[in-house]
Amino acid sequence: MAAVRLKNVVKRFGGFQIIHGANIEVDDGEFVVFVGPSGCGKSTLLRMIAGLEDISGGEIAIGGKVVNDVEPADRGIAMVFQSYALYPHMSVEQNLSFGLRMNGNPKADTERRVNRAAEILRIAELMKRRPRQLSGGQRQRVAIGRAIVREPQVFLFDEPLSNLDAELRVQMRVEISRLHKELGVTMIYVTHDQTEAMTLADRIVVLNAGNIEQIGAPLDLYDDPANRFVAGFVGSPKMNFMAAKVVGNDGGAVTVELANHCGAKLRKPLSGAPPAVGSEVVLGVRPEHFFEAGEGDCDIAIKADVAEHLGSVSYVYASAGASAGASAGPNPGQEELIIEREASRQRANGDHMVVSIKAGRSLLFDKSGARIR
Amino acid sequence: MRYQNATAYRFLAPYLLIFSIFWLWPIISSFLISFQATRTVPWRFAPTFNWGRLIGDPAFFNALKNTLLILVIQVPVMITLAIVMAVLLNSPLLKARGLFRFAFFAPVVVGEVAYSAVFRLMFNLDYGIINKLLNSVGLPRIDWFSNVTPAMGVIMIAVTWRWAGYNAIILLAGLQSIPQDVYEAATLDRVSKFKQFFYITLPLLKPIIVFCAVLSIIGTMQLFTEPFLITERGGPGGGTETLGLLLYRQGFRSLNFGYASAIAYTMAGLAIAISLVQLWLTRDPK
Amino acid sequence: MSSRSSSKLGRSIALHLVLTPLALIWLFPLWMMAVFSTMPDRGIFSPSIELLPHGNFLDNVNNLQRDTNFIGAIGISVSVAVTYTFLSVLLTSMAGWALARYQFVGKGVVVAIILGTITLPYAVVLIPQFIMVARDFKLANTWVALIVPPLFNSLGVLFMRQSFSMMPTDLFDAARVEGVKEWRIFLFVALPLARPMLAALAIILFLSSWNNYLWPLLINSKPGAMTAPVALGTLIGLTKVSWGGIMAGAVMLTVPMLVVFVLLQRHFVAGIAAGAIK
Repeated sequence: MAAVRLKNVVKRFGGFQIIHGANIEVDDGEFVVFVGPSGCGKSTLLRMIAGLEDISGGEIAIGGKVVNDVEPADRGIAMVFQSYALYPHMSVEQNLSFGLRMNGNPKADTERRVNRAAEILRIAELMKRRPRQLSGGQRQRVAIGRAIVREPQVFLFDEPLSNLDAELRVQMRVEISRLHKELGVTMIYVTHDQTEAMTLADRIVVLNAGNIEQIGAPLDLYDDPANRFVAGFVGSPKMNFMAAKVVGNDGGAVTVELANHCGAKLRKPLSGAPPAVGSEVVLGVRPEHFFEAGEGDCDIAIKADVAEHLGSVSYVYASAGASAGASAGPNPGQEELIIEREASRQRANGDHMVVSIKAGRSLLFDKSGARIR
Repeated sequence: MRYQNATAYRFLAPYLLIFSIFWLWPIISSFLISFQATRTVPWRFAPTFNWGRLIGDPAFFNALKNTLLILVIQVPVMITLAIVMAVLLNSPLLKARGLFRFAFFAPVVVGEVAYSAVFRLMFNLDYGIINKLLNSVGLPRIDWFSNVTPAMGVIMIAVTWRWAGYNAIILLAGLQSIPQDVYEAATLDRVSKFKQFFYITLPLLKPIIVFCAVLSIIGTMQLFTEPFLITERGGPGGGTETLGLLLYRQGFRSLNFGYASAIAYTMAGLAIAISLVQLWLTRDPK
Repeated sequence: MSSRSSSKLGRSIALHLVLTPLALIWLFPLWMMAVFSTMPDRGIFSPSIELLPHGNFLDNVNNLQRDTNFIGAIGISVSVAVTYTFLSVLLTSMAGWALARYQFVGKGVVVAIILGTITLPYAVVLIPQFIMVARDFKLANTWVALIVPPLFNSLGVLFMRQSFSMMPTDLFDAARVEGVKEWRIFLFVALPLARPMLAALAIILFLSSWNNYLWPLLINSKPGAMTAPVALGTLIGLTKVSWGGIMAGAVMLTVPMLVVFVLLQRHFVAGIAAGAIK
């Protein structure tokens, strides 16, 4: 078992830098998820830890030992691939034992390890089958089994569930969680799915365009995102962002006017330095943080365009500026809002409604996307 | 990916060794030899010796003329036939597909010597089956090998027979890679099958047709076995002598390596020109 | 019957009316080869039209064997083709693997040289190859001369490079992470997965060696060192020679390949369609 430490890790392909100095400390036994949109560099980072990609700058240490120039096989890691990467011409048993056999591991020990993995993953009855005779979930188990057999210090998962259907994905998620508890080893897991990240991780690393946006526990990212990107990426459906302008500052709090909501105003207490009066800002409100009219600190009128009823909750897709006439803001552009409501069948399309925002349940960002606390 | 120079070159080394010795070096060497007088020992550098002779050699121009003549007639005929074969073999209405495929593709596996022997026998003046069949339907028999025109005809027929199916295989693979829904969309737009062929199939197949044409031109340009065996060393009287045959005669009968190399490089020049034409024909439209 | 299905029937009939005569013409030379090989010489050179096989095949084989040691030549051809095919598949798949799967200094140059010279006519290298093998290495009339020089063929490299690069990278990375040595990944993961492509390549290479004429004609012209096509070629054009025998030889060269073709048509077509011959 081992901690993994990334210090100023840089990756360049030709002239392009795609990882701009990553610093991450993964504790021994921790489950860390790298999450971000496709192309953000999360898989590259994982492959650099695995040793499948060269490190252009900085250093990576596993278990206190710098591994920049260590072969993948000697890093004490095992990896589970998105495509499972099972050898199609070998049986499950041969797939599990291939690496050990090829490296001259004693036969009895190989057998013991294979049996143990089969037991942990409950695939003992599949041992003689070929990968193409297995279902997606079974293939996934075999792929994980192949990693277990190596008895690694660190498990690396590269989007392991993205080829499974929704139901199986939930099932395997629980399975991987269980495995982490059972084995107690360090796991690093890459996904683009924030739900997977939220449910699996001890800590999440949010990546965007080769930069680390924030590192933190799942609920910390949800409650206290460092910037607009993280705020938008964590949580589903996405957080709503509304154009706003600072119109007042009474020391300790600013008043912002919502540009697209007929000049609705919200007074928001701040702990840090307030933005200048007149500056343009962005107010973020999660769909689940809209309240009934009058319950919050600022009411806005909206028009419901489409409603989705999921049974447990309903989502209303609404546009702003419902009440006509009144002084339109400086930017009367369309601004779609997603609002979570209690389950209902009533809200028909085109309804006008009023919802309320609470200062304590909203976030303020400056124009560049940085959080204003 | 990581750089793995040592590993990569360990896998490459055996092939690269052979490739360098028996392909790369000879390409250079042949060029150098073409500038040397090779019939004296030791060889001496004489840049105009072979090339000068080449541009004034009627035998060279005769061979060049014959080669180009075969190219200009045989390649278009064969490619057209191959397209017809491929399109018809691709038809969903076809019965006994396996038999037809066998008929057209089988010549691909027949060796040059074997089929040259058969064609020579089939076109024999007195006892060839072709003349017997012509006679039996009241046509005069033809003295195939004593006159240049019919002799050229036999060569072209033989080459077409041997290679049309080969090209049809490539074209058929190309046809099958055209997505079916393109045709379905056209059918819904009331485009007739006939027009679909000219406005969908041919344009989409163009790069492959060009590829086949280039392959065939370069192949035909080096034509050797057929005039060597069927028309008896390019007979009658050099009437079917090709560049390939001239090269053989100069290089390996007269042992005139320098001159033969100059002939070889003439062929290479033609091949390069044709490849450039191919690149131009299949370039991405800007 | 609806007009839809009757027009379909009409098209189907037209299709078969065009294709059937064309197919018969195409089969005719092969059929005649078979017929001639079963006829006595006086039958071949008789004024009557003979379109059906006779029973003289074995006599013709004996005649051929009297004219030249054809059975011996077949033995050489088989051994050379088998050895060449094995070596060429090995060399080109190794090179193709390296080009498909590794990043290395000089990769671009190697690929550029292979692609840049691939359309050059074989005639260009014929003379230097001959001088080198016959005069410098003194290998004329040996098996090495028949097998080694043609190994330069780069179409196999491109074919295998294409095949390997279409395989999922994860598969090889998985083995790499498990500490499997590169040559074992090649041998135990990549090659087994490439079996259909290897089969296609092997068939095409075997055929090209089996039918190769010009190079063996130049380099192994001594009786006893000749391949079967060369031995047969020496008879064509001679006066006192059995044409029934020549045809029997042609049949012996052709029929095994036809059988292979029928049995492995899929691989054949795949190999040719990938441009792996000529």
